Amino acid sequence: MHEFSICEQLVRVIGEELARVNSERPVHLLRARVAVGRLRQIVPENLRFAFEVLTRDTPAEGASLELREIPVTATCGGCGWHGEVEPNRFVCPECGGTNLEAHTGRELFLESLEIEDDEPDNHQSLS
Amino acid sequence: MSPTTIKVYRDLMEKNAAWADMTRRLAAKKHVAILNLIGSPGCGKTTLLEGMVRELGPHFRFAVLEGDVETTRDAERLDALRIPVCQLITSGACHLSAQLVHTAFRDLPLDDLDVVIVENVGNLVCPAGFDIGEAAKVAVLSLTEGEDKPVKYPQLFHEAGAVVMTKIDLLPHIPADLDTCIAAVRQVNGAVPVFPVCALDGRGLPPWIAWIERLATQTRGKDR
Repeated sequence: MHEFSICEQLVRVIGEELARVNSERPVHLLRARVAVGRLRQIVPENLRFAFEVLTRDTPAEGASLELREIPVTATCGGCGWHGEVEPNRFVCPECGGTNLEAHTGRELFLESLEIEDDEPDNHQSLS
Repeated sequence: MSPTTIKVYRDLMEKNAAWADMTRRLAAKKHVAILNLIGSPGCGKTTLLEGMVRELGPHFRFAVLEGDVETTRDAERLDALRIPVCQLITSGACHLSAQLVHTAFRDLPLDDLDVVIVENVGNLVCPAGFDIGEAAKVAVLSLTEGEDKPVKYPQLFHEAGAVVMTKIDLLPHIPADLDTCIAAVRQVNGAVPVFPVCALDGRGLPPWIAWIERLATQTRGKDR
């Protein structure tokens, strides 16, 4: 359910970024790419549902939300091993030690936006 | 125009982080340590606080920010024990935001306090992801919930600075094993201190209180 709060922030940030775009015509969003660390416990379906609801009647309505999952990586304080671990198993596969320091997995950021400006004449020229 | 890609790289938690930082700066200035107590509904968070009041003596002075979805019941329980308490009602939200905590925190009598304990909304998932400016997250787990909860909800137990296991008085009556539960915590957080307690009769509370006292002493030591 925290996906809704997170999505509110996503939609706010997207709104700010779209307002900054220097374009003569209004722009709309085609795609937003978001990086999500596995420790964040984000359920993609929940985030997508929130995105669909919260972007209604905004320039981001109908855009697709692309999530890039970032694995949890850690270094073992005992033997120096470095690699990927499961979010629920912070145990060194080399020495069995549990003194692991996580490096990635908590990310939650908007990476990029794909936009297009509204071309009201498009429909006329196509018909 | 054809589709254009804009690189952004903006943290989606930036607004929450800004409020949390404000709380952290104010807490440092006032030498107050903030604990973020997180556990399931009914795991015994409020009972733990009540038990602490009875055992505490002169160790440190604390106030409570009480997070709930609805009602002021928990705040009333603590108010009856003469603990400074403020009820935060989220009206449905599954976690406390840093902004809500900040507005209540700044109104507490901070000059007269050593520790502020924030009792988050009962939930093992959502509160773990939201920084509220705390010095440490504390995971509260009752043994009746099952020994495997630390590996089922790894984010909270991974980030916790301490784990309190409540209801140890029930161990003779339930198919749960304390060592198995501690081993599950170790799987996601090898170094975290674990405090098995019974808040009703006070068993195990002194080491837990001593841990908070050390944190409070460290906080007082800073900037002085």
